[in-house]
Amino acid sequence: MKTIAHTAANQERLAEADLASSFSPGRVRASLQLEFQFDRLVGRTHLVASHQEPPLRVVRAFAHDDGAALVHLHNVSGGLLGGDHLSLFAAVGPKARVQVTTTGATRIYRPREGVAAAVQSNEITVGEGALLEYVPDPLIPFAGARLSQRTTIHLAPGAGLFWWEILAPGREARGEVFEYERLEMKTDITATGRLIAAERIGLEPKNRSLSSLARLGPYRTWATFYICREGLQPAFWLDLEQHLREVALSMQQGSQPRAPQGVLWGISTLLAHGLAIRCAAVHGRDVFSGLHALWLAAKLRLYGRAPVLPRKVN
Amino acid sequence: MTGEAFSADRSLAELRLLHLADSALPIGGLAHSFGLESLVSANLLGTADLSGFLHGHIEEAGLLEGVFCRAASHLAREDQGQLDVSRWLEINDCLSARKPARESRVGSGSLGRNFLAAVRAVSGFPLLHEALQASRQSASLIHHSVAFGLASGALGLGEECAVLAFLHQSTASLVSACQRLLPLGQSQATSILWNLKPAMIETANRSASFSIESVCAFTPLLDWGAMEHPALSTRLFIS
Repeated sequence: MKTIAHTAANQERLAEADLASSFSPGRVRASLQLEFQFDRLVGRTHLVASHQEPPLRVVRAFAHDDGAALVHLHNVSGGLLGGDHLSLFAAVGPKARVQVTTTGATRIYRPREGVAAAVQSNEITVGEGALLEYVPDPLIPFAGARLSQRTTIHLAPGAGLFWWEILAPGREARGEVFEYERLEMKTDITATGRLIAAERIGLEPKNRSLSSLARLGPYRTWATFYICREGLQPAFWLDLEQHLREVALSMQQGSQPRAPQGVLWGISTLLAHGLAIRCAAVHGRDVFSGLHALWLAAKLRLYGRAPVLPRKVN
Repeated sequence: MTGEAFSADRSLAELRLLHLADSALPIGGLAHSFGLESLVSANLLGTADLSGFLHGHIEEAGLLEGVFCRAASHLAREDQGQLDVSRWLEINDCLSARKPARESRVGSGSLGRNFLAAVRAVSGFPLLHEALQASRQSASLIHHSVAFGLASGALGLGEECAVLAFLHQSTASLVSACQRLLPLGQSQATSILWNLKPAMIETANRSASFSIESVCAFTPLLDWGAMEHPALSTRLFIS
């Protein structure tokens, strides 16, 4: 497998990462660069180039029956440590179809005293008529953890996206809930250069309670899910919003009317080219099943085929 | 300009700001709950929770709107006879992208456009005319906080003043909405709004530390409420 050429933008980001992490003792700076291309002759998407630095690894790309490529992101260190600066660059070429998932939850460890926050940056481009499905396991921030995550996604004409993030409250089984120090997550999605979604969350549970009704209230796990396909008209998205709302409602059947539900699903059209879904749940287990149901319903409407669920949930 | 004349100008500007921050200004503010109606309907928000909820709301959504209000006020005060149109559109478009719930996004856009049109009509400020025209031509939303900041800046008032007035006005509107949604009497509503003023001041101060690119807000329950509002079978409010 050939090594991917570093673009000027990537080089600039790596230089920034180097500068930021140079102040952090015990740091790990690593990048994972992936490039996918659609092979017209065989009708399949291939991982054509990668540049991998430990602890980030992709062993290989697996072929889905529908011609898409599936890759599992591994972090062989088991999670993010204070001072780490990890970068993911993914370029999905025209007409390529890719599903990216993780091998397990991403753990955000407590940094040593005096060590900077862990930094994760993701720079994604989805080419003309291509599709990226990014469906990772949850982020689990340990007590005292600090993370800064920055994601930018660029969609070309006709490009599609399913992208979710799940944030667990901590190691719940240990009774560790909202004991992390600070999490910052910034996400921008542009479609043919236009900003269609921008998310900035900054959580400091010890300073501003997440149990405030203005934030999570009685809920603990939070998820955000973007479904986009550049070029589709607003009426299509309004119709899909209503359809997904009915799917979400069917998942809530059986709950007591007029009583707060165990999981909330909010669905709305974006400015253009897509939908945003927000979830707040008492139990994290309800989030995965709900995301899968919404993913299935949306992909059938958008692409006429069901998504291939990661094997761990089959 | 003499000190006395300056004082008169200043007093006039402050009186005008009071007028613009009055919930009776006919821009449609009383028709929006921005998701609160869904929270009440789902039994997630009650009278007993209201004070704490609004405090958190000011810290999160208030901070976001405050930073954008401040940016627009700064834009007006930097105006050298001509509006920086690309910056004006950028501020509004960035805030549109930060609002994932359609009803709240469109509601904010409706209030902002009505507000700016109303202030232009009474003030005749060319800056406001330029702003309205530029947004119309680019089919871009004008958000309420951004319009409020621009108008305050055009009046010559400081950014801090603009943010404080906007936070007070928007919080008072939510309290008013809650009086129609919950068993909340006049005295209790007045008390809640009175006690929230320190939170508004703290948030206005914090808003000076962020740019429109960096400011964070985490309001998942409010997002849910605003997203699910179209599905309510009976609705008092547009959003």
